[in-house]
Amino acid sequence: MLRAAGQVAAVAVIFLVLRWLIGNLATNYGRLNIGFDFGFLFRPTQFQIPNHPEFDPRSPVWRMVLVGVKNTALAGIFGVALAGVLGLIIGIGRLSQNWLAARLSSGYVEFFRNIPPLVVIVFFSFAVFLYGPLPHLREAIELELFGSDRPALILSNGEWGIPGIRSTGDISLYGILTLVGIVVAALVWRWRTRVTEQSGESHHRVLWSLGVLLVVLVGSYVALGGPFVVDWPQLSENRRRLVSGFSVNAGFMSVAGALGLYTASHVAEIIRGSIQAVPWGQSEAANALAFTNFQRYRFVVLPQAMRIAIPPLINQALNLIKNTSLAAAVAYPEITNLTQTSIGNGRPAVQSIVVLMAVYLAISLVVSLILNVVNRRMQLVTR
Amino acid sequence: MTASTLDSHPLHPPRIGPLEWIRSRLFPNLRSGILTILLAPVVVYALYRGALFFFVNGRWEVVTRNLTLFMQGTYPRGEQWRIVAQLMLLALALGVGTSTSAASRADIAREAGLTVGKRTPLSIIKRFWSLIVFVLVLLYFAATVTPWLVMAGTVAAFLVGTSARFIPSRFRNIGWTLAALILVAAFQVVVGTVGYSWMITAGVLAAGAWATFQFEGVEGRRATVYRTSVAVAAAVVAYFVYTVLVFPGVGWDHWSGLHLTLWVSAFAIVLSFPLGLLLALARRSTLPVLRWVSTGYIELIRGVPLITLLFMGQYILGFMLPQGTDPSSITRAITAMTLFTAAYVAEIVRGGLQSIPHGQTEAGLALGLPTGKLMRMIVLPQALRSVIPALVGQFISIFKDSSLLYILAIHEFLGVRSLVHAQPDFRVIAHAESLVFVAIGYWAFAYAMSKESQRLEVRLRAGKS
Repeated sequence: MLRAAGQVAAVAVIFLVLRWLIGNLATNYGRLNIGFDFGFLFRPTQFQIPNHPEFDPRSPVWRMVLVGVKNTALAGIFGVALAGVLGLIIGIGRLSQNWLAARLSSGYVEFFRNIPPLVVIVFFSFAVFLYGPLPHLREAIELELFGSDRPALILSNGEWGIPGIRSTGDISLYGILTLVGIVVAALVWRWRTRVTEQSGESHHRVLWSLGVLLVVLVGSYVALGGPFVVDWPQLSENRRRLVSGFSVNAGFMSVAGALGLYTASHVAEIIRGSIQAVPWGQSEAANALAFTNFQRYRFVVLPQAMRIAIPPLINQALNLIKNTSLAAAVAYPEITNLTQTSIGNGRPAVQSIVVLMAVYLAISLVVSLILNVVNRRMQLVTR
Repeated sequence: MTASTLDSHPLHPPRIGPLEWIRSRLFPNLRSGILTILLAPVVVYALYRGALFFFVNGRWEVVTRNLTLFMQGTYPRGEQWRIVAQLMLLALALGVGTSTSAASRADIAREAGLTVGKRTPLSIIKRFWSLIVFVLVLLYFAATVTPWLVMAGTVAAFLVGTSARFIPSRFRNIGWTLAALILVAAFQVVVGTVGYSWMITAGVLAAGAWATFQFEGVEGRRATVYRTSVAVAAAVVAYFVYTVLVFPGVGWDHWSGLHLTLWVSAFAIVLSFPLGLLLALARRSTLPVLRWVSTGYIELIRGVPLITLLFMGQYILGFMLPQGTDPSSITRAITAMTLFTAAYVAEIVRGGLQSIPHGQTEAGLALGLPTGKLMRMIVLPQALRSVIPALVGQFISIFKDSSLLYILAIHEFLGVRSLVHAQPDFRVIAHAESLVFVAIGYWAFAYAMSKESQRLEVRLRAGKS
């Protein structure tokens, strides 16, 4: 009886508070003549996204959302890659018996873990790029490869030009063939693994699969008669913009680079913790089997450490993706930045923020699904 | 084991000469030696460039000329004495608080027949070296003598505060109340006594009165009634004192700089803790509705970045309140940060609650304790104790996240830069210098907090085994 009363009271309180808040919202919106519909998603955006010439101010808002999600994903993927590689090196470095390497790594960790990621992003954006040592695009530094007269790298404070690829034929068919090649390489990997398990001869599966992949890539390139060529970066006549090559925006480098550096400190701590969590007896056992140092790490310590490390590592990846929202402070058009601009341009705030939150919730949901799958698989493998 | 074998394993490793040190730490084997040879030039070059930047090339005028701006932002210049007074009062409160805590720990140790290690200045410097470095950096950049005087006054106030250790152990709670009251006074000297600020003082006074007054020979329900009436009386007195005492101040809408950063983080920490505790309890409640609501809230908040909540506070919160109430952007930001942190605090506390063996609850039930008392006296003390390090970690994170207010054009420690670089002298130069200074500031506080949390972790683990 008391429990039922408590339930009813709790429901009533929550309901009344929500009703009050939403009632106020409805009143205020009604006064200002703003609706609660999502029709604005199909009306023109009415602003230009920097560095996206293909985006038209007349295209609908949902196209803007897609551009934002794509840029969030790009910064997230590159940031995670950088954080993973750097964090692995620094995490192992902290356990090194070399005093200098251990000190450098722990200094790195203690520094980056204790400053806000936004400070790092702003540092990159303002002190490295915008007002940094690099010149404006007009006087951009052009670096040539040895013995070639065309620049391979164009450095300026706003964007960098790097070699890209330009389609000269059927590039989509080539893409499909590449995917086929990857699948075949994976099958070869499994075949070599099975051969080792059955006959005991060494597998060389890395060599085998990479070789197969290379054969497929080169073969289809020749067969399709060269579907693409390398597109070297080049400035326009008046040196105002890049006319060819692949342009990397300073905002992107600030966000991905800064978050990579920041998250690497957390990754390093996770790596160090999980390696130290593997009991010392395992290493002694490996030594007793006369494993080399590399073999000890590769076959005994790391597989067990990874089992401990992967769930928190995936969590850090999610944190990094959520932190890309800090790009709202610099000129990188990811979803938060674009939503802010779009609200500033008069789109309804409530609906815009609902869309924004839904995007991040979807990303979080996907990442936690991956986490669950990985957790389940690892338990199956080990038990 | 005989004494001689013990002696042959001294606690400290034997002292080694510098050459032996270099051999064993830098060149223990071939691969390590190569690594040293590769790394050493890079390190030396980086140190050289760093020293050049710090002492020769750096255009540090950007900091020396704007030190006041970085510290207290656009706080009205005529009212600066308030911030100085606040600093002194905070130091006094810190002195009273730490010495009371040390004295009560010493009491407990004496009862248990243990000796406590004495705190020496050296050990304090070791513990808070990052903050001391930051203060020295500030003094180095000081253009006038005022910051030196303020610093000396602060240290003196702290030393005066430490005399609280002479309060007899029977009245230890007075020490705590005193520290809390000085803390409130430090807050009030800046904001004044207008508005609802009397509530904070009344709350502290009431809690202090509740904890301090013990009535000889009165027990049970009567004692509770007595103590409650004293507490209520204290609160009423505080209310009337506040209505009589008109002491105008400068509210937080006008704060900025490091001052704002520290207070915003403090508010978010203090306010999010009770909310998070409630959410954690609700998530483990037997009432399904409470459980669903709290689980939904926690998962929703943890799935989105803080900035989306800050946007909500900025763009929507005003519309969700009756027409006419228009909280300032700093109030909105504090609300958003509190709502955000509460979800994380709830998850941490829930972890602590789950770590308490069920036998504890059963034992409490067997004693016939009602649920409220069971939670308050048995489960929560153990659960909270075990999650203190994780909570401190979360609080460090909210301190760092307070930099996001910059995106909302609030001039906290990072955002103050936009005022500094709006000055014609620094429009396009010295961005690196100002950012390095800001980074050192954040780092000093976060590093000190994380070191303290590690100390706590070690102490808690030692208590367990």
